[in-house]
Amino acid sequence: MRTRPSIDQARGEFVRGRPSDDQAIGAAAALRLEGVTKEYGRGGRGVRALDGITLGVARGSFTAVMGPSGSGKSTFLHCAAGLDRPTSGRVHIGDTSLDGMNETQLTELRRQRIGFVFQAFNLIPALSVRQNVELPLRLSGERLDRRWQDEILARVGLEGRAGHRPAELSGGQQQRVAIARALITRPDVIFGDEPTGALDTVTARQILSLLRSCVDETGQTVVMVTHDPVAASYADTVLFLADGRIAGQLDHPNADQVADRMTRLGAWA
Amino acid sequence: MFRYTLQTLRARKGGFIGAFLALFCAAMLVTACGILLETGLSGAIATERYAGTAVVVGGDQQVHETTTSEKKGKTKTKTKSKPLSERVWLPADTVDKLSGIQGAARVVPELTFTAYAVNAHGQPTSGIDGKPSYGHAWTSAVLTPFTLVQGSAPQGPDQVVVDRELAGSLGLHAGSALTVESGLGPQRFTVSGVAAPRGGDLTQQSSLFFSDDEAATLAGHPGQVSAVGIVAASGVSADTLAAEARQALAGTTAQVHTGGDLGPMEFLDASNARIKLVSMGGAIGGTSLLVAILVVVGTFALSIQQRYRELALLRAIAATPKQVRKLIGREALLVGGVAGVTGAVAGLPVAYWLHDRFVALKAIPDTLQVTFSVFPFFAAIGAALLGAWAAARISGRRTARIRPAEALAEAAVERRLGWGRLLAGLLVLAGGVVLLAVLSVLDTEPASSPVTFLTVVVLAVAVSLLGPVIARIAVTVLGAPLRLAGVGGYLAAANTRAGAKRVAAAITPLALLIAMACTVFFVATTMGDASQAQARAGNKADWVVAAATPGVPEQAVQALRQTPGVTAATEVLHSSVRVGVDKYTVEGLSAQGLTQTFDPGVTSGSLDGFGDGSVALSKVAASGLGKKPGDTLQLTLGDGTPVTLTVDAVYQRGLGFGDLTVSRDLLAKHVDDPLAGSVLVKGADRAALAAALRGFPGVAVLDRGQVDQLATTAEQSNAAVNYTAMGLIIAFTAIAAVNTLAMTVSERIREFALLRLVGTTRRQVMRMLRLESVLVVLVAAVLGTGIALAVLTAFSVGMTGSATPSIAPWRYLGVVGFAAALALLATIIPGRVALTNRPADVIGARQ
Repeated sequence: MRTRPSIDQARGEFVRGRPSDDQAIGAAAALRLEGVTKEYGRGGRGVRALDGITLGVARGSFTAVMGPSGSGKSTFLHCAAGLDRPTSGRVHIGDTSLDGMNETQLTELRRQRIGFVFQAFNLIPALSVRQNVELPLRLSGERLDRRWQDEILARVGLEGRAGHRPAELSGGQQQRVAIARALITRPDVIFGDEPTGALDTVTARQILSLLRSCVDETGQTVVMVTHDPVAASYADTVLFLADGRIAGQLDHPNADQVADRMTRLGAWA
Repeated sequence: MFRYTLQTLRARKGGFIGAFLALFCAAMLVTACGILLETGLSGAIATERYAGTAVVVGGDQQVHETTTSEKKGKTKTKTKSKPLSERVWLPADTVDKLSGIQGAARVVPELTFTAYAVNAHGQPTSGIDGKPSYGHAWTSAVLTPFTLVQGSAPQGPDQVVVDRELAGSLGLHAGSALTVESGLGPQRFTVSGVAAPRGGDLTQQSSLFFSDDEAATLAGHPGQVSAVGIVAASGVSADTLAAEARQALAGTTAQVHTGGDLGPMEFLDASNARIKLVSMGGAIGGTSLLVAILVVVGTFALSIQQRYRELALLRAIAATPKQVRKLIGREALLVGGVAGVTGAVAGLPVAYWLHDRFVALKAIPDTLQVTFSVFPFFAAIGAALLGAWAAARISGRRTARIRPAEALAEAAVERRLGWGRLLAGLLVLAGGVVLLAVLSVLDTEPASSPVTFLTVVVLAVAVSLLGPVIARIAVTVLGAPLRLAGVGGYLAAANTRAGAKRVAAAITPLALLIAMACTVFFVATTMGDASQAQARAGNKADWVVAAATPGVPEQAVQALRQTPGVTAATEVLHSSVRVGVDKYTVEGLSAQGLTQTFDPGVTSGSLDGFGDGSVALSKVAASGLGKKPGDTLQLTLGDGTPVTLTVDAVYQRGLGFGDLTVSRDLLAKHVDDPLAGSVLVKGADRAALAAALRGFPGVAVLDRGQVDQLATTAEQSNAAVNYTAMGLIIAFTAIAAVNTLAMTVSERIREFALLRLVGTTRRQVMRMLRLESVLVVLVAAVLGTGIALAVLTAFSVGMTGSATPSIAPWRYLGVVGFAAALALLATIIPGRVALTNRPADVIGARQ
């Protein structure tokens, strides 16, 4: 039986939305978006994928972002994680503004402050588990801390698999490697893009529990885009996106509540 | 990072094998060409005739031109020297000047002249492997040294000593009767003895020795010697002797040779072949390097396209664009380094093979031995590294544009063609057009040849850049008929449109292959046909009397002239001259009755009254020299003699008859072999001519058709040299084409699996693949043929003056058929391999 960990209220509040809340977001936020819009295409035919998103994510929280297809989930993730530049508005990771950063600066920010876990194709096939995990450090030219690596591999349950190639691992194990890689740089935020989308239910639960324990045990901040109410129920807060805007928020969610809210948003209409 | 590079290479062998092969072949060709080049520059030529001589004094085999230029008040003088094609003789008093020097045991005048022993069947006998046969005076036998093994030294005008090898092959011994054909025609001698060289029989020549007076007569250069040999007294070094000789000869043009210089001075043809090797090595090496870069850029770009998601993932999790570029650059350098080293080693046997082929084709004599240092190997490794680096640089530009967010996308979608690529393609195309324009005004072969191949490569680069656009246009045109061919055709059309870049990558090497092969083949036929047509049109003779070696003697020509019915007999002699330091081919024709047998298409002036002081110029030569009839022309004959001639006429058919035409009587005194190669005869019938020629060894009467055939044979052996050289590049291009095609198919393993899963049969997938490759071949054939036609037309305009390249249809079809077969095989085999896996496994496997 799955037990949902309780949420420590003292760890900081989740703050949503209005400009007047800006001060409240404060320095404690791991991620802040201010009036972020993103348009694709030009002129009258342009599509507004994000339409003035303002929010903050507190340190040490687990946030799920949900929404029907085309609601702007992926665009939100790309803009928040510095993979894409917003058309207007500002993004802050910790106390750093992404405004005006060039591609190289963005990359450096990503490898120091952000971790990624994608749905699939997370790993470089040519490299072993350990090499995949230490890749961000190698790319930034940092010294490798063997003990820290071992600790992280142990935490994700991959001790003894360090020498394996991704092709020799199961899907769940591959996601564990991806999580270990995301953790290695002690990032401000870990972004997940449907991290359990390609896994079976049991494996998906294990991965979600792993992410949950990262938040609870080390104070890691996780922002995860998903369309799965069960996955979302592992989060402290669920944000609902529709038509590029924040359409609602649910704290301490359970799967039924989330599914109910999604139905009302027309996702499964 | 280095470890990551290594591991990626190891894990993605397939993707890099293409680039590796291309670079390996390039390094191999560059090494081979470098070795040929070096052989040309410094190849050792061993002496044979002068093996027993410390110092040989010869004439100055170079023509010099000193130009002075005024620059900012300073006078600069530059001296250019170019080799002469015939032996330069020395005045006989050179021997007297040298006789006083200390340290010389003997000072021996040397005469070298054409002299062939005639065998029992009346045929002149060449040396081993068709090598020449020379006559000398017996006193100079010491230079090798030859010593008698039988009989006695030649005494009096009718005795001759033959070398042991010749005696053996003709069954001669002291006392045998022997006819010898020299520049003075056939003469009867008695063998007085047989001589053998100290170090074993000579392999480059046959030798006949005459008494001194007889030798002087036969040599035909009164008061001159071909060289002077100095045999050192014991204990005197060659260098000391040479220094003394130089002192004694100060103020003359005579050149003192010793040690390694003796070979080049003995074998003039070998020294001339060096220049040929240098230009040939440069042309092949340069072209293969260009082809390599084009091909490697293609394979690298393809392998990057295949790793699109991996690179995007790297970008997303932490790699800057610079790091990705660096990674690709390192992979390239690693592949380039390994390919360079292995290719350089593999180049050595290729160099020997090429040398052997060239020797077998008589393009170079075997006296010129292969010589090499470490430089060709380093050059090849450097070229492979440079090629890889350039390719990585060019294809790495694209990686900067990879957006990290694409790592999250479901499938890697081919991106639109960038404006930069389109612009670059148009610029290169414009460059190709400029080269075509340049090519159409180049009228000499040495200038034209390299530009021809450069133009082909440049146009192929334009095709590779504009490839995706071309592929899209092709699908628009060919799409409709393709879709008619069932679901396979429907899929093929869709794939080709969606994967325009991939299709373009396959088209480029195939188009290059077809263009290159067509150009190589049809440049030769265009030149051959044009010169043969001119020769045929300008030859008014009814019969041609020809002899293989050494030629048609003058007595035979006299006999022909006296034959009833013969109105003219024109001797034809070939050599080359230099005007200033520029080389021109020259034809020597008997002045008497010239206009009856010879019609070179005179455009201004007249051949009436053509004599020893006259010269006629081809239009190309006349415009190059800026001369018109009535002007005087100073030139240096093949043996270094300067003459001043009056330009009598300018003619059109320069390809058929050479750049310059002078009188045979003038030319004959200044060439090594004064016998006419052929005689043009007007009038009489074959039988009468044959009767008149009875008693002259090795001479035959040919009709005009046989003459054409002879010319064709000569051209073919010349073309074979080009085919051998360029064939290597064609083979290289073919490997590249197969390579690229196989890469484009094997990357689609998942696509095929998906098609299978949705219900496409294996047969239907293969049909789709076949149709796709047919489309690729069609487009490549059109482009390749277009390039070849454009280049050949420009070449033809420049060289022959008319825009009609000669194309042999069967050979053309052969080229296209070969390319098509190659393309089909390179598609079908990897396609079959890709289809052997169970589709569900392929889809299930993570990338």
